[in-house]
Amino acid sequence: MGSEFWKDGLLLLDGAMGTVLQQRGLKPGELPELIGITRPELLRSIHREYIDAGSRVVCANTFGANALKLAHSGYTVEEVVRASIAAAKQAAAGTGTRVALDIGPLGELLEPMGGLSFEEAYSLFCQVARAGERAGADLAAIETMTDLYEAKAAVLAVKENTSLPVFATMSFEESGRTFTGCTIPSMARTLEGLGADAIGLNCSLGPDLLAPLLRELCENTRLPVIAKPNAGLPDPVDGHYHMDPEAFTAALLPCLDAGVSIIGGCCGTSPAYIRRLNAALSGRRSASRRYIPCGFVCTPTVPVPLTGVRVIGERINPTGKKRVQQALLARDLDYILDLAVQQEDAGASLLDVNVGYPGVDEAALLPQVVKKLQSACTLPLMLDSSNPEALEAGLRVYNGKAAVNSVNGDPAVLGRVLPIVKQYGAAVVGLTLDKQGVPQTAQDRLEIARRILDAALAHGIPQEDLWIDCLTLTVSAQQEQAPQTLEAVRRVRQELGLHSVLGVSNISFGLPDRGQITRAFLLQALGAGLTLPILNPNQTQMMDAIAAFRVLSGEDAGCRAYVERFAGASPAPASAPGAGDALTLEEAVVRGLRADAARLAVQALESEEPVRLVEGRLIPALDRVGADYERGVAFLPQLLSAAQAAQGVFEAVRAVIERTGGVPVKKGRFLIATVQGDIHDIGKNIVKTVMENYGYAAVDLGRDVPPEQIVEAVRQQGVRLVGLSALMTTTLPAMEQTIRQLRALPEPPVIFVGGAVVTPEYAAQMGADYYARDARRSVEIAKEVFG
Amino acid sequence: MTLEALRYLGAGRGAPEELRQSVERAAQELSGQVKPRYVYRIFSLEPEQEGFSLPQAGLLLTGQTARTMLTGCAQAALLCCTLGARFDALLRACQVRDMAQAVILDACGSALVEEGCDAAQEEMVQLLPGKFLTDRFSPGYGDLPLPLQQGLCAALDASRRLGVHVTRQYLLNPGKTVTAVVGISGKPQPARVRGCAFCSMRERCTLYKGGKTCGV
Repeated sequence: MGSEFWKDGLLLLDGAMGTVLQQRGLKPGELPELIGITRPELLRSIHREYIDAGSRVVCANTFGANALKLAHSGYTVEEVVRASIAAAKQAAAGTGTRVALDIGPLGELLEPMGGLSFEEAYSLFCQVARAGERAGADLAAIETMTDLYEAKAAVLAVKENTSLPVFATMSFEESGRTFTGCTIPSMARTLEGLGADAIGLNCSLGPDLLAPLLRELCENTRLPVIAKPNAGLPDPVDGHYHMDPEAFTAALLPCLDAGVSIIGGCCGTSPAYIRRLNAALSGRRSASRRYIPCGFVCTPTVPVPLTGVRVIGERINPTGKKRVQQALLARDLDYILDLAVQQEDAGASLLDVNVGYPGVDEAALLPQVVKKLQSACTLPLMLDSSNPEALEAGLRVYNGKAAVNSVNGDPAVLGRVLPIVKQYGAAVVGLTLDKQGVPQTAQDRLEIARRILDAALAHGIPQEDLWIDCLTLTVSAQQEQAPQTLEAVRRVRQELGLHSVLGVSNISFGLPDRGQITRAFLLQALGAGLTLPILNPNQTQMMDAIAAFRVLSGEDAGCRAYVERFAGASPAPASAPGAGDALTLEEAVVRGLRADAARLAVQALESEEPVRLVEGRLIPALDRVGADYERGVAFLPQLLSAAQAAQGVFEAVRAVIERTGGVPVKKGRFLIATVQGDIHDIGKNIVKTVMENYGYAAVDLGRDVPPEQIVEAVRQQGVRLVGLSALMTTTLPAMEQTIRQLRALPEPPVIFVGGAVVTPEYAAQMGADYYARDARRSVEIAKEVFG
Repeated sequence: MTLEALRYLGAGRGAPEELRQSVERAAQELSGQVKPRYVYRIFSLEPEQEGFSLPQAGLLLTGQTARTMLTGCAQAALLCCTLGARFDALLRACQVRDMAQAVILDACGSALVEEGCDAAQEEMVQLLPGKFLTDRFSPGYGDLPLPLQQGLCAALDASRRLGVHVTRQYLLNPGKTVTAVVGISGKPQPARVRGCAFCSMRERCTLYKGGKTCGV
């Protein structure tokens, strides 16, 4: 087999298998993948027709041949893959046509959308990939993916377990996004980084609607681009696709001019379409490509091209931050997520994530933090660690294209970390230091940067994926170094053409009114060519300076963002309208005015004991809203607003207690979870929010939690109160099972249950101690249990 | 969407003004971010001993609900409407920031996906002049079995065309997804089963227990 056949000019694939099988007698509800076993002659004839029509690659009938979809089929993945590949190979024998192992989605959504973990998805794909190679496939064609995370699992599974070339295509809607919100640049640059050999689009739309998306794809990848459109859209009445071979071909040909070089058809196409395409291809050559190299990181939904200043949020880092240290040691990932969304809301473009601290198993924690952050924060991450195992584990479960912080000029470090960066297609920060320390001159730092660049290129990492950190030194200690750093930034930009990263706040360490110095340094560094400042985006002063810089640099075209940020800006009212001076702490809580509640709590704590404030004023205020809620004059959002205002009060209390070394006001710890199989968790989160803001500490195990995991957590943590939630009748058995297992413990906890389908009678029957119809009732139960 | 969302929140027309405004703002913002997407297909319907069969879809609709809904219909549409994974992502992000806002968003999402179903039915009416639609009804509703979700979604190719998946416990994922059957007849159709009086969830429904309704 000629190597890299997909790079030699135009390549014609085949058309649909599924819709052709339907036309030829596949029954509704019948698994198409079993045709390879029950009627291989039918597959052979379809493949043969495609080959006669001009296909140079045919996809075997293995689209859904994975262990999930075959679970009740009576056949193994190995058997189905072997039979289907064999049928395709028999049809292709002697023709030079290659046979692809076709790999479609698994049929269940991955975390955080569904219950399937990335690791499970990976191992399911491994099984398919290995079976395909053993059966003699020439390449793997991953198709119809709508979740970049699932596509990543599939690409890694093929690359790490076989030597097959990988084609990977995803399905996009007309909006330019997949069902899960993935963008074209995110897809292109992530899959290229992971080492796919050709990428493209298939299914969902006809070639007319796919054309603009294919053009965008061609600008975002160096790889050969694949197009496999549907024959238009299906008719709602009869389900047929109406675009004929002539129209299909006419609409697809302009895509070749945009740079597409591998074409075929998806749903609704047939050998007739391929024959027509083949005729149209004769004499045509692949067009030249206009790839735009660009520094880039992304999550599926948020592509971040480095076309201007991009702020890296610095707050997820335990260095010098006691609260972060506590959170890491206690694995309080909710707090870490909170830091992330605050920075996202404050205008950061990506987030530095450093979880290295004595007593923390970084390689175990970093992937957990990555998963937690990508469940609710859309920003790309920069994984910050000197531990290669932690970096590898974090990059592996990251969904998108991440950055790594950092390598330096030490060859040993470069040799350890760059292969990992390359394997996962990440960007990487190179620090301009080596074993000898930080060079004192700009020239020497530039030399180190040059060495790092050479090493990156030698590892196959493209130039735009290397960012250089010229290192900020403290101006009060080494005053002569500030100009050296700025000069190094300038030369890295001009002479090496690389992006610069700089942690700016270091500059002002040890000086009064640090913000003045930091801000002045930030602006000078931006002027010198810094594009990736690392700072605390919650400091408005810094973000304001960047907004101004973007106007002067021309990045903020028409000054639009600046005007939006500052126009009509007047000092924010200190409190809500109508609140006036007369607003009391109780009213602020009742009305859900969080900022006011926090402010008034701080004032009150100057003269009041924390415990008295909580028990004497806060809790009664919450009870007032609770009573209104029960009478039907206040509603759930108001109950929750009040709870969140209470949180502001608790934070003030916590600060006072930490300052005075008192005992934290925590009234008892409860564990809460949504039972196995149940993926809806808003009800559970409502209960958690309200209970936490009454002062109870939550151990939140999340949703879809197996009974064993709940029992284990109760046992290990000695929790006395457990809340379980179930939404569907089909998950009630899991609730019952969990209760039974908890009851079998030597010291069973008190159990309360709730959720749409749970009734008081059913709760009693299952052996629960309490039925909680709502969050309000849960608090009463906690009061009874903890006193 | 606002009034429906307020009803899901248990407030309805009597909602406090501040809450009504919050819901209206959330509804407006959501309309700009997420559009309901749907697919449907029309199948012929054949009465059989155990229920109604849709031969082209390989489905059999058993039970009293199907009988009540479909008697006199020669065809039925299968419908799936979803707000997609993006709504779930918005809701996850919102829950981290502000739970009060999240329950409002959740209620708006429920209202929006129902609006999508209404729009799909409107479209069917346009597509089928001279035909009349029954109310829609869903697996898990009345005695129409929940496991029907699998076959219904398969017949619509809903995973490929909408990104809708059925979990092993027959939950629909993404969260704001509705599947339904709509009968199609040559004669005008009276409302047959909408409302709490006909709902099999009545005994377990928290809204009903509180004297409220989900609006179906």
